[in-house]
Amino acid sequence: MSDLLALLTQQTINGVYLGCLYVMVALGLTLIYGVLNQINFAHADFVTVGAFTAFFTATRLATRVLGMPDTAAYLLSLFFALGAGALLGWLVSAAVFAPLRRRGSDELRPLIATIGVSVLLENGQLWLFGPVPYQFDSPLARETIRVGRIFFSAQSALVVAVSLAAIAALYAFMRFTFIGKALRAVAQDRETAGLMGINENLVIALTIVIASALAGMAGALLGPVVVLTPFTGASLIVKAFAIVIIGGFGNMEGTIIAGLLVGIIEAFTVQYLGSGIIDLVVFAMLLAMLVIRPTGLIAERKEENV
Amino acid sequence: MKSRFALFLIVIAIIAGLPWLITTPYWRGILVLCAMNVLLAMSLNLVLGYTGQLNLGQSAFFAIGAYVSTILIKTYGWNFWVAALAAVIAAGFLGLALAAFAARLRGHYLAIASLGFAVITYQVLLNWEDVTEGVRGIYGILPPVPNTVALFYLVAGIAAAVYLLLDNLVRSPIGDTLRAIREDEVSAASLGVNAAIWKAFAFGLGAGIAGLAGAFYPGFVGTLVPDAFGIIESFTMMAMVIVGGMGTMIGPVIGAVVLTFLPELLRGFGELRLMIYGLALTLVVLFMPGGMVQAWVSLKNRLRA
Repeated sequence: MSDLLALLTQQTINGVYLGCLYVMVALGLTLIYGVLNQINFAHADFVTVGAFTAFFTATRLATRVLGMPDTAAYLLSLFFALGAGALLGWLVSAAVFAPLRRRGSDELRPLIATIGVSVLLENGQLWLFGPVPYQFDSPLARETIRVGRIFFSAQSALVVAVSLAAIAALYAFMRFTFIGKALRAVAQDRETAGLMGINENLVIALTIVIASALAGMAGALLGPVVVLTPFTGASLIVKAFAIVIIGGFGNMEGTIIAGLLVGIIEAFTVQYLGSGIIDLVVFAMLLAMLVIRPTGLIAERKEENV
Repeated sequence: MKSRFALFLIVIAIIAGLPWLITTPYWRGILVLCAMNVLLAMSLNLVLGYTGQLNLGQSAFFAIGAYVSTILIKTYGWNFWVAALAAVIAAGFLGLALAAFAARLRGHYLAIASLGFAVITYQVLLNWEDVTEGVRGIYGILPPVPNTVALFYLVAGIAAAVYLLLDNLVRSPIGDTLRAIREDEVSAASLGVNAAIWKAFAFGLGAGIAGLAGAFYPGFVGTLVPDAFGIIESFTMMAMVIVGGMGTMIGPVIGAVVLTFLPELLRGFGELRLMIYGLALTLVVLFMPGGMVQAWVSLKNRLRA
């Protein structure tokens, strides 16, 4: 294999792995937008909460209290993070989205209210955990897998495997289960779905819980590979928005494609232009997309209500 | 009309008397900060409260005002007032540019586009080191007047003037036009309102006022670093507008005063201050959508009944 080809493959693999993490976060945003037409601005902060939950589970609870081996402890922490995300999602759904929906409020108030939740979560964690970055050692991040001249860590293989599994499970859930069908019905037309006997409030709450659980688990996957601070998730939120817009709000397939695309572009930007301007490149893409094709890569068939 | 004028004189008298009541240098500094926050809250309120456009990028205009004026003074030796004027114009033009760009965008899309604008501005300040010094920052910036009390009178006087200007603006037919766009853009357009132009007007004027506040900020703090203008600054302005009562003139002023002094009274550390802002933002939207102004009106009605 030539040097260039090896380099391209290496960066594409890095990009796919980053992209999988982004997809896990952005999918939740797009799911919520699909059924509710609302943005949960605190979504990416659930990622941070998931990461800290996993950190304390893996390095304290599972290893020191339960005496589990490192790898098993880390795998267990994934589920604790998933649970933490789900719990937060339920809280935000019950305390913020449901009351505002009952009052029939406009599209901006829930966004402003969740910005408040985001500021509260970030600074609450800053108060609890301090600004010094945490070193989250996953046993898998230390193991390197080598295929020919391509290197990647066991952690990144796990990230790709878990996100693929999560995306496949979500897809199967939406396609083949009754609740998934109800969810899609609410996304298409909330009122008519309600008339058909679907409990729309339950479906909406469930969607937010699933989306937030994904975010929590993304945090556990992300924790060992980034600098873990209370603002880890916040640095993701704008990128997640960019992905959701590039993919088309509420469009699952578009979000998956856009997430992988942004991951790969980011990997090549780091290689050729330096890591300082990643955000600039991603946002230039976002703004260009808003001008050229605001409906996203895959155009939505839904008509705008005027 | 006469009683409004009398009320305005009373407020001016109170502002003039404040530095005699508050004598420690620390609290006098908080007074200056408060006057700046009042300016910023009013600037966002014009766009968010009166025109109904969720602009999450207001911190960018504040940043541009601060950097343009400081660089013109430090590098090119401009006079402060000319540089401040240039800051207003630069921020105003960028506000117009963002509005022109976002003319077709509404609601969530506008919110995210303006957020992206703020992030890009922050990244440019951080990375364009030849001009902005990046993370190293610019040091030794002098205020336009020699002491804190004079600076307070200056910024508070400007805030009062801007209040009068905006108060007359929102009472004029232009104010009706902006409110019509806020309530229903499509209906307003069907009545012959050119929504894109008036939204751009609100964005441009709001950005200019934020730029003006930005011109005073570096001299007050003495240093200038990009981290002073993160997204969180847009959110603190939003908290002031929402807590006070958006879409009213006095609401954001009260919100700015309360949210500047309350965390100080609670001996706030940084994270505690922002936790209060976040909590206040969520609770007010949930339980008191009209902010403190609405709470005051309903309290008055209850006492009367």
